[in-house]
Amino acid sequence: MAAAGKKCSGVLFLFLLFSLFSLSQSLLSDSRKVNWSQFVERNHSGSLKVEPESSILYSSALVFSRLLEYDDVNDTADPISDLFPPYELQDFIWSRFNLSGPSALLCGAAANFTNGSLCLQLSAFESEGRGQSWPRLLHTANSSQVRVWLDGVLPRASRSRFLLELKAVGGVYPLSRVEVHRSIDDEFTPSIFQVSQWVPTENASSADLGFVQWKPVAYRQSNPALEDATPCRHSDPRPQSGEAAAAASGLIRAFYAEPETFGMNVSFGLAGEPFYNSTKFLSWTLLVGSGSPPVDSFSPLVVSVMAVGLGTPMILLLLGGVFVLPAEEGAASATYEPIN
Amino acid sequence: MADYEERRSLLGDGDEGSSAGRRTAGRPMWAICDPSHLLHRVVVLLFMCFLGFGSYFCYDNPAALQTQVIQDLNLNTAKFMQLYAWYSWPNVVLCFFGGFLLDRVFGIRLGTIIFSLFVCVGQVIFAAGALVNHFWLMEAGRFVFGIGGESLAVAQNTYAVNWFKGKELNLVFGLQLSMARVGSTVNMNIMGWVYSKVVDLVGSPGHTALGASLLIAAVTCLFSLICALVLAFLDKRAEKILHKEEGKTGEVVKLTDVKDFPITLWLIFIICVGYYVAIFPFIGLGQVFFIEKFNFSPAEARAVNSIVYIISAPASPVLGLMVDKTGRNVVWVIIAVVFTLAAHMMLAFTFWNPWIAMSLLGVSYSLLACALWPMVAFVVPEHQLGTAYGFMQSIQNLGLALIAMAAGSILDNRGYLVLEVFFCTCICIALMAVVLLYFVDYLRGGDLNRSAAARAKLQKEATSAAE
Repeated sequence: MAAAGKKCSGVLFLFLLFSLFSLSQSLLSDSRKVNWSQFVERNHSGSLKVEPESSILYSSALVFSRLLEYDDVNDTADPISDLFPPYELQDFIWSRFNLSGPSALLCGAAANFTNGSLCLQLSAFESEGRGQSWPRLLHTANSSQVRVWLDGVLPRASRSRFLLELKAVGGVYPLSRVEVHRSIDDEFTPSIFQVSQWVPTENASSADLGFVQWKPVAYRQSNPALEDATPCRHSDPRPQSGEAAAAASGLIRAFYAEPETFGMNVSFGLAGEPFYNSTKFLSWTLLVGSGSPPVDSFSPLVVSVMAVGLGTPMILLLLGGVFVLPAEEGAASATYEPIN
Repeated sequence: MADYEERRSLLGDGDEGSSAGRRTAGRPMWAICDPSHLLHRVVVLLFMCFLGFGSYFCYDNPAALQTQVIQDLNLNTAKFMQLYAWYSWPNVVLCFFGGFLLDRVFGIRLGTIIFSLFVCVGQVIFAAGALVNHFWLMEAGRFVFGIGGESLAVAQNTYAVNWFKGKELNLVFGLQLSMARVGSTVNMNIMGWVYSKVVDLVGSPGHTALGASLLIAAVTCLFSLICALVLAFLDKRAEKILHKEEGKTGEVVKLTDVKDFPITLWLIFIICVGYYVAIFPFIGLGQVFFIEKFNFSPAEARAVNSIVYIISAPASPVLGLMVDKTGRNVVWVIIAVVFTLAAHMMLAFTFWNPWIAMSLLGVSYSLLACALWPMVAFVVPEHQLGTAYGFMQSIQNLGLALIAMAAGSILDNRGYLVLEVFFCTCICIALMAVVLLYFVDYLRGGDLNRSAAARAKLQKEATSAAE
């Protein structure tokens, strides 16, 4: 899927192999040109072009490459051991692209899924706002939200946990590190006090930035309550060969010549948390965009309640000090003095 | 749990209901068997202190096992907090009748045994509800437990007043209070370990392991019941040997007195409710808060959650002495409320080490108890004291029940920051009330805020004028 930057009226394309694009463009008009014969062959780069090419300020892609599963026999949530053969998303059989308004839904299943599917929902935005359901990520017009979920997929062990492999491809400054910010505000994602951001190296100027942002939580129900939250962890992004990314995604092959790639795993569930088998549902949301990642702030409710709560005693104290104390200063307190 | 203990300890020398004992002539006894000898009374004191241990231990079982209760029984936080709400509901009404039941209906001995039985049976029903995975049964268990819990505290104090007098009484009340806090602390720090050992025994975590752990906790209630039986026996024996009367609470409750309560008393009620609803429900939900926000391990989180009780055990007598010596209760209440507000704001808006905030909370909680409850005695005449305290406990329990449910609900929907802001709001309401109290009291002559020296002088003048 291609998500266009803020000045484009984007048309979303679906390609068989799943990729995400971020483009920053300075001109209103654009056109994407696809050389279909070359594209399908997947031999050459350049079969997908955006014209005029000079209008592209920044581009990068996020590839969902693999779904991994491991048997957590001892409940340690350590994914190094007991990994089952991974599901390659490029080998999935995908349903038709379901477009509704600014969001697009795509579901697919691996050949060896007996039932169940992996779905992705991409939402593009025209303005600042916040997601409707948890984790209620804050988004800007320069970002798109992707929700990934596993629904009904049968696990290969009763104590399975899952990992998702992501690759960040391309860009002048590729996404090479994950920052974890602590935040005191968990209003919109109860009990989660962190935000993780996959960002380029530090010396990139702000115009050339892209990001992937998420809260380290996944939910075990489609309409989750607080108890359905399960923490997720990420591994350190590691450089990978651009060739591997291109092999995984036709879109990458088509658009990029020799891109820099970083790969990362996101694993769901910690030791002691319920396994995937308990609800057979797992959903995770992330935000992809260009520019700087959005920063959350307090809601007006919290600010106003604190202002009123702290302000009223102060005002009472002030009023009392101004009116009551001087009035009593003159009058002596009437204590009974014994006569002798 | 309500601070019946603390307010009693500061009412000064309890002269109610006790009468001097006489030695019976011509019957030599070992010192330890002689009810008028100090050694025997120390033994009795031991049993008295452990009388309340079981109920304080089991009161905070849900908080110590919050994650396990929620996971094993598939609850949300709102339903979890119902376990606390159901403890408070019977006490909304029972606070008025506790003294009456102990004085007129059952007598102190039988009454104590009955209330201990309620505590024990309630905890067993609570554990049974977990074993069979029926939440309504657990709520019923907490209700029964609540009927016994608060009234047992009244009984414990009545025993103390009966066996000790004068300066000893303050020490005894202090010890009883400290034992209560020790019970709460031990619960917080031990139940997690008990649960993990039971899981090893049972095989897997789940409601069976939870029920078994709670049943083990019920052993402390059984222990308290045994103490009640022993105390009844010793008291009856002392009555026979020393020919003294059965102890009375001395509390008379007349609900019609409520219309005579002055505005200062209503402000004190508001302070009481606004303050305690930001302490006990917070401790109930504290463990997971520390795990999620500050990345504490479960054991560490429980330890920091229990620090409020640990600090209050030694701090209450010390701070009580300080407030006794200096007077100026309103100022101390203001200080306590402001410190608590600071502690909650630290926990809400910063990542500073929560040990600091919780220690501050522990000190200010002890300070408030020492300064607030005696104020009631300055504001109402003696014959209305029973009604005033009964009313204060009743609305405190009402507030706790309602706010416990609200807190769980807020957490489920809006998270910890909004919950902390809610608690800060409750404290701000208490702060508003105490600021108003200061000015109202000032306008009326400053009775409540007198220094201890001035109060002693006034009392001397009053008694000399009466002669």
